[in-house]
Amino acid sequence: MAFEIPKINYTGKIKEITIGAGNKTATVGGRDCYPFHLFEGTMPHPPIIAMEIWDMEPDNWPEAAIEPFKDVISDPPAWAKKCVEEYGAQIIVVQLKSTDPNDKDRPVDEAADMAKKIVDAVPVPVVFWGTAVSEKDEQVLKKIAEVCEGENLSLSPVEEAIHKSVGASALGYRHTVVASTPIDINLAKQLNILLGNLGVQDEHLLIDPTTGGLGYGIEYAYSVMERLFQAGLTQEDDKLQIPMINNLGNEIWKCKEAGLPKDELPTMGEPGRRAILMEAVGAVCYLLAGSDILIMRHPESIKLAQEMINDLMAEN
Amino acid sequence: MFIIGESLNVISTKIGRAFKERDPVPIQEEAKKQKELGADFIDINLGPARKGGPELLEWVVKTVQEVVDDIPLALDTSNIEAIAAGLAVCKGKPLINSIMCRKERYEKMLPMCAKYNARMIALLWGPQGMPRDENERAELTVELTYAANEAGVPNEDIFVDGIATPVNVQQDQVYSLLQFMPMVQDIGEGLKSTCGLSNVSNGSPDHLRPILNRTYMAMLEKCGLYSAIADVYDRDLVDIAKGKRPDIVEIIGKVMDEEAIDMSSLSKELQDYAKTTRILLKKSLYSDSWLEL
Repeated sequence: MAFEIPKINYTGKIKEITIGAGNKTATVGGRDCYPFHLFEGTMPHPPIIAMEIWDMEPDNWPEAAIEPFKDVISDPPAWAKKCVEEYGAQIIVVQLKSTDPNDKDRPVDEAADMAKKIVDAVPVPVVFWGTAVSEKDEQVLKKIAEVCEGENLSLSPVEEAIHKSVGASALGYRHTVVASTPIDINLAKQLNILLGNLGVQDEHLLIDPTTGGLGYGIEYAYSVMERLFQAGLTQEDDKLQIPMINNLGNEIWKCKEAGLPKDELPTMGEPGRRAILMEAVGAVCYLLAGSDILIMRHPESIKLAQEMINDLMAEN
Repeated sequence: MFIIGESLNVISTKIGRAFKERDPVPIQEEAKKQKELGADFIDINLGPARKGGPELLEWVVKTVQEVVDDIPLALDTSNIEAIAAGLAVCKGKPLINSIMCRKERYEKMLPMCAKYNARMIALLWGPQGMPRDENERAELTVELTYAANEAGVPNEDIFVDGIATPVNVQQDQVYSLLQFMPMVQDIGEGLKSTCGLSNVSNGSPDHLRPILNRTYMAMLEKCGLYSAIADVYDRDLVDIAKGKRPDIVEIIGKVMDEEAIDMSSLSKELQDYAKTTRILLKKSLYSDSWLEL
């Protein structure tokens, strides 16, 4: 008897989501199998690596992360442009670090002005990522939604506490909501239901399951993503057929191992290369978990991760 | 289904204060109320009771028995000396709640259970804590019931507690307990069983807790559950336990047996029971809004 490879019986499909508007769009999802299981199904849209910039000059980045951007790092719109023009970024993610009430606490209007400048500077869709201080994120994301009406930006992180007000702004000004929950399958499903009750259509929804860094919870995030996609693909759970976005670069580069000099961490190699590989390895994990939009920082790590995507998506 | 009333419990502010101040009135009112509502056992939960446990449990047992002496008591504290003191003054055949599957504890407690001809809850909490699945539950059951038999406690007096877990965070474990229930009779003929039922809804929205508790009880009963430590103030729950709601039990059974169900022909109440059964069978991932889907 010939050997037959066992196949998963898929009953669902991840929804196709387009972010951005006009001629500045990107589409993810549409997959009807586990990530890269092309022998069982199809992935019409490969995962996209989005490049992150900050809305202020970073004051705590390791040298290796600054190096590729040092000519533009104090000018966010120019930085965003460089990511697109030089590194081919298909999506820009703006980390709204300047708005952190425990740090610079930039006022809402100023933050929104800068947001608009960045959006206008690039020919690709933009994601805005707050500081997870929900009171401030609520105000900032609402204002950005207003000044960038109709751009179909992605607004993140929209936690349960602020889902009504930010969700309403996203509906009113036509943007996409990134539903964010703290590494918990049940809460992730619940927030999608609540946003649905509010009127946010699935086509305007992405899931942020919360991203753990390498050695800092990556395995939890992996399991949560795996279980959510299982529900969506094999249990007909239409609340969980939503593409996921992972804020990876930020988690990798902020951990101490990414920045410690060699004499303080002699067993982990050269600091620059070390952090780049940490980011690339983290990317491998999240891509295999099913990430649809993976936010990364360093052009070298991005190159490595993109090669993996290309190889796994190749016909043979 | 036998119900062990859970609410004579130190975590209730009123009862906790009555324990502390040795005020018999709230305790006796609670005991009488539980009897009236249909409790088959009254659980006296002192919590850890580290200080003065023996004297307290002795006093509470006597206080309850002054007004209710025809319902057996369950003695619920982790203080072993307190259990011993309580057993000594119990009329009838008390239930020790509980003896866990840890040698250093059961070696002390099993002889006590035999000496007073008491019943015991065999809590499947092992040296490594909570069992991870139904097979580990079975292993712990074998160890603990064997030791109990050796000590002179017959299977009929052992209530195996496979541990109910909150569905909002441990849906797999909720299902695992269902899988485990039919194994109990294979391990020891005549073994009884129980579980802390309300735990299944711990963390779920308050207004939705009763339907989770009731549904899970009926599901576990279909799998062989003998008794449940539960909320006797939930009248529908007691009705289901006492066979007064065959319609609910029937629909839960149909979902479990994967019979085709025409949801639109059901009342809203029965639809909700069907949906809840599906969640507890982990056919669908739990979320607080499961009844709205």
